[in-house]
Amino acid sequence: MTNVSISCRDLSLRFPVYGVDAKSLKKHLAKIAVGGKLGSHHGSTEVTAISGLNLELKAGDRLGLIGHNGSGKTTLLRALSGAYEPDEGSIEVNGHIAALLDLSLGIDPTATGFDNIRLRGRIAGLTAKQVDERLDEIAEFSGLGPFLAMPVKTYSAGMQARLAFAAATAVEADVLLMDEWIAVGDADFQKLAHRRLLKLVERAGILVLASHDVELLRLYCNKVMRMEGGVASPVTDIKKLDELMAA
Amino acid sequence: MDTATHMLRTGRRGTLFEAQMALRDLRTSVERIDLARSLAWHDVVSRYRGSILGPLWITLSMGLMILGIGVLWGGLFRVPVHEFVPLVAVGIVFFGFVTTTINEGCDTFVQAAGMLSQTALPMFTFVWRTVLRNLINLGHHVVIVGAVLVWAGLWAGANYPAAALGFIFLVINVAWISMLVAIISARFRDIPQAVASVTQAAAIMTPVYWPPDRIPEKYRWILDFNPFYHLLQAVRAPLIGKAVEPHSYLVLALMALIGWGLVFSLFANTRRRIVHYL
Repeated sequence: MTNVSISCRDLSLRFPVYGVDAKSLKKHLAKIAVGGKLGSHHGSTEVTAISGLNLELKAGDRLGLIGHNGSGKTTLLRALSGAYEPDEGSIEVNGHIAALLDLSLGIDPTATGFDNIRLRGRIAGLTAKQVDERLDEIAEFSGLGPFLAMPVKTYSAGMQARLAFAAATAVEADVLLMDEWIAVGDADFQKLAHRRLLKLVERAGILVLASHDVELLRLYCNKVMRMEGGVASPVTDIKKLDELMAA
Repeated sequence: MDTATHMLRTGRRGTLFEAQMALRDLRTSVERIDLARSLAWHDVVSRYRGSILGPLWITLSMGLMILGIGVLWGGLFRVPVHEFVPLVAVGIVFFGFVTTTINEGCDTFVQAAGMLSQTALPMFTFVWRTVLRNLINLGHHVVIVGAVLVWAGLWAGANYPAAALGFIFLVINVAWISMLVAIISARFRDIPQAVASVTQAAAIMTPVYWPPDRIPEKYRWILDFNPFYHLLQAVRAPLIGKAVEPHSYLVLALMALIGWGLVFSLFANTRRRIVHYL
């Protein structure tokens, strides 16, 4: 697909904060009853996660997102994946989106490895047939062999990570969204995982990778954007990363 | 992750736009109903993993309850066992579907928080998941209904098309109630408890365990104003050789229209926010 693109215009995203208190119906009713008084605090219960973000990406762009914790990187990735709706502005994405934000998505510890691969594939939008076609390849890559017929709860943490990684990366994507470069398992598997991710990135038209690791971003990205308090810097060339960080 | 290759998301653009987006969510969920079915099957299988009888355990406990109530209460009400047991059996099985679909509706979005916060899956998918999961379980319990109807000699006289029609009305109505509580429960965590109390009270106020024709005329309104009564009667009456009162269909049709209208507009207004409630 050559016309892969991401376009965000004046994107703003706000989180209403529903505290433990606010979630109770009693408080809500009390709020209605006392009218404006408590209502005046209403404005403070929203956190602005992203404000006025503009972003244009086309095929071949490998964008690194850098910024402190809570600067809005993950929120932006979730918005790009379609999970969060913008409050203002727009997001337009052309191409199949694959979001590798949380490897454990949809993993059920009581189900077998095979069942989890199927479930994960279905959530990612594959049909039952497509999942079955890929099952062998995923199974082989995971290296878990006969363990795949056992419940995931019997796996070690490393084995679980292998399974999750193998299942999550068995997708075809034009737009790949990643929260941190996921390197999992023992040294051998990390090498394999690394190669598989690189292939996935090569196939994808666009990569958006959020990371704190400057060296990692230099390695995989050709563009970089710094986020701070929900405000994004202009997209710059990765060569100017040092200047961007100093700014 | 979305199978669509084009995605456009914008801020609020007025009521009509929000309704269109809600409708699109619904349409996508129907196109991908297979996913809801897979999730529902997965739920059933994983809940009963390691057990031999699986959902049939519930069937078994329902069977025991029917036997106990059918025989004992039948004696108390002085209704012949062959009349009373079918009434209670069909009542418990289908009313059980109503209450569990509504009670489990409270968890629909809360349980799906992980998926909703990082994929573009339609929200309706999770509503269907809850409904389909309960339909699968009902499929197990229906065995009781079949057995009892055969035992009581009612199977030949049952009006199956009418029962099927009633069942469609039942599912359509239960689905909107389930979605309603799903949205409100995501926002207010008190709701699941309130819902459980209401469904429990409904099970007592509705003639599930007692013959509706025993109610004195002056208390008849308790039945007429009880939506659950109409839901149950539409399915049960045809199966046990009785006729559905025509006004029950009117009530059910109105309920479905108003209910879905209400829930859909609530969904259109909260769709963007639900993921933040969780």
